Amino acid sequence: MTAQVLDAPVRTALAGLLLAMADDEFVLGFWDSEWTGIAPVLEEDVAIASLAQDEIGHAQALYRLLAELEGGDADEIAFGRPPEGYRHARLLDHPRTDWAFTVARRFLYDTADAARLDVLAAASYAPLAEVVAKMRREETYHLLHMHAWLERLADGGDEPRSRLVAALERLWPDALCVLGGIEDDDLLVEAGVLAEPMAAVRRRWLAGLAPELERLGLPGPPPAPPAGCRGPDHSDDFRWLWDQFTMVRRSDPEAVW
Amino acid sequence: MQVYEVFRREREGAPMQHAGNLLAPDPELASHYAREFYGRRQESVRLWVVPRAAIVDLDDPDLLQPPFDRSFKKPVGYSTEIKAKLATARSRAGTAPEHEKERR
Repeated sequence: MTAQVLDAPVRTALAGLLLAMADDEFVLGFWDSEWTGIAPVLEEDVAIASLAQDEIGHAQALYRLLAELEGGDADEIAFGRPPEGYRHARLLDHPRTDWAFTVARRFLYDTADAARLDVLAAASYAPLAEVVAKMRREETYHLLHMHAWLERLADGGDEPRSRLVAALERLWPDALCVLGGIEDDDLLVEAGVLAEPMAAVRRRWLAGLAPELERLGLPGPPPAPPAGCRGPDHSDDFRWLWDQFTMVRRSDPEAVW
Repeated sequence: MQVYEVFRREREGAPMQHAGNLLAPDPELASHYAREFYGRRQESVRLWVVPRAAIVDLDDPDLLQPPFDRSFKKPVGYSTEIKAKLATARSRAGTAPEHEKERR
């Protein structure tokens, strides 16, 4: 299926999904790049910076899909909106904070994103299915990395464990937003873009996580996500980050690289 | 933390070559870091990640640099002689390569 044959409402819903996913990856990539130079050990510094770059790469691929679908320029979509124009989940509104917080957020995000990619793998919109196939290959490695860190912090003694538990408790409600705030996902299911609605993806994700959380004695999710999962109101922390990542472009929007 | 030595293969058929080393608390994180250090730019098709402690290290001069002349164990003398005979034979047959003709 190509962009031309999509009905207008399906196309709008698909554009909403692409923007949400792209903004999730983009904002997470920028938060995690904040560790460059100050990660716990040199090796992890290189690793987290590389993971962050991967997310920016995924965002770039998704912004390009959106530009093909709706017209426009991928860079302009990525950098040219005011903060309230971003549609990332509330999970990505929190600042970098400490290492346990970063691990907790990435663990929640990467596992939710994997569940989301699973239901997009057979998407009838071929350009998206191709990008998803590539993303899944890289995200497999991200997942392994974050599972490894989650276990080490959970079993790493009093301080790592208490920091991890505190981070999970703070992040859980907003993590539910990663698989929420997508409008008209039922239209995308009908059109064969999504294999099932987001609410079902979220249930599957949580069911899959439960055994690991139980084994490690870590807190689980609240019953429901907060209201306003994907903006337009974002935190002051995000506004600070936005200021950082748009700074160069705003200084000369017409510059050619 | 312990040191891991990393070997990498650049492309199928190429030999495994020493890439460098890294510090990691265990083999699992060592493999993640090896991937980031020596594979994140798609420059490797295979990595070996080896705890340095597992490497048998030989540097005893009595084993590796014995004091007597060992030049007779090198193939150099033999090959020099063969090359000279080959050059003579070619010259007789008039099939010497250009660079050998110039030398004479």
